[in-house]
Amino acid sequence: MEKRIRVKNFLDDTGIIDLQIRLVAGSSGIDREIRVGDINRPGLTLAGFYDFFAYDRIQIFGLGESAFLRQLSETQKRSVLEKFFSYEVLCCIFTHDEEPDRIFLEFADMHGVPVFVTKKDTTKFTSSLVYLLNEAFAPTVTLHGTFVDVYGIGVLLIGKSGVGKSECALELVERGHRFISDDVVQIKRVDEQILMGSGSPLLKHHMEIRGLGIINVKDIFGIRSVRDRKRVELVVMMEEWDNNKQYDRLGLEETTHGILDIQVPSIMVPVRPGRNIPIIVETAALNQRLKKLGIFTARELDRNLQESLKREGIGE
Amino acid sequence: MTEREVVVTSDAGVHARPAMMIVKEAMKYSCEVKLIKDDVEADCKSIMSVLGLAIISGSRLIVRASGNDEAAAVASIVTMIENNFRPNESSAQKN
Repeated sequence: MEKRIRVKNFLDDTGIIDLQIRLVAGSSGIDREIRVGDINRPGLTLAGFYDFFAYDRIQIFGLGESAFLRQLSETQKRSVLEKFFSYEVLCCIFTHDEEPDRIFLEFADMHGVPVFVTKKDTTKFTSSLVYLLNEAFAPTVTLHGTFVDVYGIGVLLIGKSGVGKSECALELVERGHRFISDDVVQIKRVDEQILMGSGSPLLKHHMEIRGLGIINVKDIFGIRSVRDRKRVELVVMMEEWDNNKQYDRLGLEETTHGILDIQVPSIMVPVRPGRNIPIIVETAALNQRLKKLGIFTARELDRNLQESLKREGIGE
Repeated sequence: MTEREVVVTSDAGVHARPAMMIVKEAMKYSCEVKLIKDDVEADCKSIMSVLGLAIISGSRLIVRASGNDEAAAVASIVTMIENNFRPNESSAQKN
């Protein structure tokens, strides 16, 4: 899915991370689209080395760049900036509250390149900005399922409509677990290994239960029963019990479910009236925690069994 | 797989009641029915999913179905959207 992120998005509410930036020039370019989630320090470029100039990235002017510009004479500065702005520079951000001088602002206004100043220092600002860019550019997928935090494990329940995902989540909430989202789960790959799941902002903490209609889990069960996002660590596939199908009886093999090219551990839970699914999900979550700690019950039992069989064979 | 594009013309968009009508209609068929708006896919048989699309008047939707009765499912849902969810809205007014 093609994403459009504009320069002005970083001026608006950026959530928990405040970039503390203000616009000082080039307001006409505020609608420019950010196409790459990378940043560039233009020190070398300003010094005259234009090979590999990543002009389409956000340019960060730290103390070094500011000091370099300051020591130039006016004619030198004009020629440096002339060259610099001849490229289609995306936008410039000055850190350490170092406001650029009149000449720089003039050039920026002329070329419609937004210039921002932040109070933060370069390293802190860069890490905040990279975090926001990563979030914004992270591949996202919307899945049909129900997402619950069970004992600190993000469990994604998937399965056909009507198989009982929401009812299962409701029971889990009743048992003190936290509900994140029902039916619509937005999943983001924030890192090579990490998937974060959250609900749609519009449907936040709402759930549909056949026979009841739409309920608000937060209002009914209180603030302790919900959370906004969680890492996806276990996928529980629910399906109606099929007598002709063989279900896993040992759990020796680890099965996975691919989401955005990341393999998430998964289990298949057949549903049958009278079968207590929430307790199975709870146990699966606890088992997953054990596995994370390196304890693989089925394999350990198998190993112990094999050893004792071997001993009996020797006649001990 | 059968799919058709439809533009929502009802003024209020797809709020709770029309969403419920779409879901009810989709539930009549055994096939899998999806509603797609701006690359976001929703399960037509889930009310939360349909509501989550935030469909407003003028939204361009794709109704996509795959399964046994896919053609009939797509046709009936598209017709319902094109008719501005009318039959039931008038009966709702009577109540």
